[in-house]
Amino acid sequence: MSAGTDARRTVESLLRRLVALSGVERLLISLAALVLAILVGAGIILTSGRVATCTQAAAVYFGLGFCYDPLEVYFVLFNGAFGQPFNPGIMAGNLVNPTWSPFTGPLTFTGPLLTTALFTAGWNPLNFSVALTLKETTLLIFTGLSVAVAFRAGLFNIGTQGQLVVGGLVTALVVGSLVPVLPGGLAGALLLVPVGVLSGAVAGGLYAAIPGALKAYADANEVITTIMLNFIAAQLAFVAVSEFFRNPESQVVETAPLPGYATLSSVVFPQGSDFSLFALAFALVLVGVIWFFLERTSYGYDLRTSGIQPEAAEYGGVDAKRTVVTSMMFSGALGGIGGAVWVLMVMGKWQTGVPALGFDGITVSILAGNNPLGTIPAALLFGTLKSGSLAVQFETGVPKQLVGVLRGLIILFVAMPEFFRAIGTNVVDLDADDSKAVATDGGVTGGDDE
Amino acid sequence: MDRRKFLKATGVAGIAGLAGCSGGPTESGSTATEESAESTSESTEAETTQESTASADSEVNVGMVYALGGLGDKSFNDAAKRGIERAESELNVSYNEGQPSAAEEFPTFQRRFAQSQNPDYDLVCCIGFAQKSALQETSKNFPDQKFMLVDEQIERDNVASYVFKEEQGSFLVGHLAGLLTNQQFEAGAGSTSGDSKKVGFVGGFEVPLIQKFQAGFTAGVEHADENIEVTSAFAGSFSDSAQGKEIATSMYEDGADIVYHAAGGTGLGVFQAAQEQGKFAIGVDSDQSQTDPNYADVILASMVKRVETAVYTSVENVAEDSYNGGELTTLGLEQDGVACVYGQELGSEIPEDVKSSVAESRQAIIDGDISVPTEPQ
Repeated sequence: MSAGTDARRTVESLLRRLVALSGVERLLISLAALVLAILVGAGIILTSGRVATCTQAAAVYFGLGFCYDPLEVYFVLFNGAFGQPFNPGIMAGNLVNPTWSPFTGPLTFTGPLLTTALFTAGWNPLNFSVALTLKETTLLIFTGLSVAVAFRAGLFNIGTQGQLVVGGLVTALVVGSLVPVLPGGLAGALLLVPVGVLSGAVAGGLYAAIPGALKAYADANEVITTIMLNFIAAQLAFVAVSEFFRNPESQVVETAPLPGYATLSSVVFPQGSDFSLFALAFALVLVGVIWFFLERTSYGYDLRTSGIQPEAAEYGGVDAKRTVVTSMMFSGALGGIGGAVWVLMVMGKWQTGVPALGFDGITVSILAGNNPLGTIPAALLFGTLKSGSLAVQFETGVPKQLVGVLRGLIILFVAMPEFFRAIGTNVVDLDADDSKAVATDGGVTGGDDE
Repeated sequence: MDRRKFLKATGVAGIAGLAGCSGGPTESGSTATEESAESTSESTEAETTQESTASADSEVNVGMVYALGGLGDKSFNDAAKRGIERAESELNVSYNEGQPSAAEEFPTFQRRFAQSQNPDYDLVCCIGFAQKSALQETSKNFPDQKFMLVDEQIERDNVASYVFKEEQGSFLVGHLAGLLTNQQFEAGAGSTSGDSKKVGFVGGFEVPLIQKFQAGFTAGVEHADENIEVTSAFAGSFSDSAQGKEIATSMYEDGADIVYHAAGGTGLGVFQAAQEQGKFAIGVDSDQSQTDPNYADVILASMVKRVETAVYTSVENVAEDSYNGGELTTLGLEQDGVACVYGQELGSEIPEDVKSSVAESRQAIIDGDISVPTEPQ
């Protein structure tokens, strides 16, 4: 047997092992990847801590001083994302009381065993850092869902970003134009917010129908068209706002701000945190609905079979072209909702320079194995890293670019096994077992010989 | 086993390599201050230098929230940073800084400084007009926190606003560009052809603030010669040097001799294009022939906008208990808030008669004999 086929066999059997993994195993792999990413990141922090110049060492390892302390960075990264539930004092060293012995006191965690309290006194879970983490999580659930739905239908929707931009803009304009004609206060909020979200969904869906139709009726690759439409969306929105819907009182290219009652206000969480529990609840409900829709309805079944085996789906009576368009629209509508929530919850207006939520959604979806339920933990990981990296920027001297590298490493390491698994499902046939294939082969040749 | 040997070898090599690195902390000792002064004087190293974190023993603690281009733009944000560094060395001030990467992060950064107890920030500097709407919220929520805002105005008692007359400085560099494109001029790595009557302007975004630069520049060029054509383009970003290079290259190829940029980090691309094409460029905000010496051979002059003065003055006011909250400070040519500063390398080669007519129009603007438009015609 040649070396080429040998290598191919190895790759195939690796992929097969990946595909065949159980849920628990996948979780364990993700955790191991996280640990590995942290170790590699720590190496990078140490190295750059030697290259950088500073007057005082942040840490000393192996008798060498380093400008940045990896332990501190990762501690702040995860602790800071939740507003420091753990006492930063525990990083000062000598956590365990050296003079403690079983005879001096009872074995308690806050007692004399530890020199400092493990948890921060007076930590309130409803703080700004948690709000920031959850804000990012909420937005990424929408975009992650959007990409996941398209993936399940066998479509690569790279255009969630564009659909989000368009959806957000339409939401801002629709709500902005309805504000003068509708009553204010709670009644206005109950009308305006759902209308805003709905118009965002419709706009995003219609915008995604373009690449869907191009794919179905002109056989244009949706990866290319959706990427291109991202640019078109960003520029169109920019021109539309700067020429026609500009807030005249502002230097920035933005629409006029919406009144407070027309936006998603921060319940429970402190004012000005740009996060609303309603939005998170809505996102979670949407995850459930989409999961049910994909797994338990006949349209969802059609969508999934089109993704796995388009020919079989068509044979089974699915209108393939229509499914492509509708699933793109469905995906785009979710992206549009993401834009609507960004406008209504975070900005209170549409503003140029929309963050790359749609692109992050692709990674969230891969991380989630394209499973709607998986987007929740995947988005939470993203949110934690985002919020935590701001904390690192504030509390340590580590430059923000380096923090970006650490974030990227974690995402890369955690997403890669899932990514290869996603590839593997398309390449490898699970039922064709390695050993069986060899046996049948041998059997056939043996039969010929006889 | 092979693998184990490999791991051991890489481990040892890695640590040995790290030990050999030239950087790292200067071990605690008497030379610490000397070393730190040395390292900050080198701009490349200063970027990686650990920031002096605000501490409790200083008299005044300042929080800096930079504009979106971020530090290292060699222009707007770096100018603000110079202001706070000067305050740090001259007044008993320590500071901490944050670099937001999207507009939606402005409130987070501002609030983070405003609500901090340890240290308690005496002043939060918000650099750039884009922070206005975020600061309107934040300053309302933290009425006891002092803020300062550059490039925009908020009328609230706890916000000191600083704006500049960018059109005046831009008029001067426009006048300079107009005079030079009309004659045969060669210096450094660039030259003007003398026969083409074209200059260019590259802006970050097409917003009123940047249009002030554009309007002043255009008026200055027309002041030199009404027949010179000014082409203007906007990059749509303050941090996209590739885009800046693309725009400037097409302007130079189209016959423009001199391109003026008001685009923050995007402008670095304009300088690259000028070098490749053998033409000239005019910098903005900082003296860019000094902040970016690699391009000193094509930078004729810079329209300096002394953001550092605004930052320093506001910190000084707070340190001396004369904080001017609620007031708007306008810095023009007269207050030396904006100026046309000739390039380090090329400045001496610019003909004296050109310099003197630029100086004349400067005086005329201060005296009110020339009024500079703030919006493009």
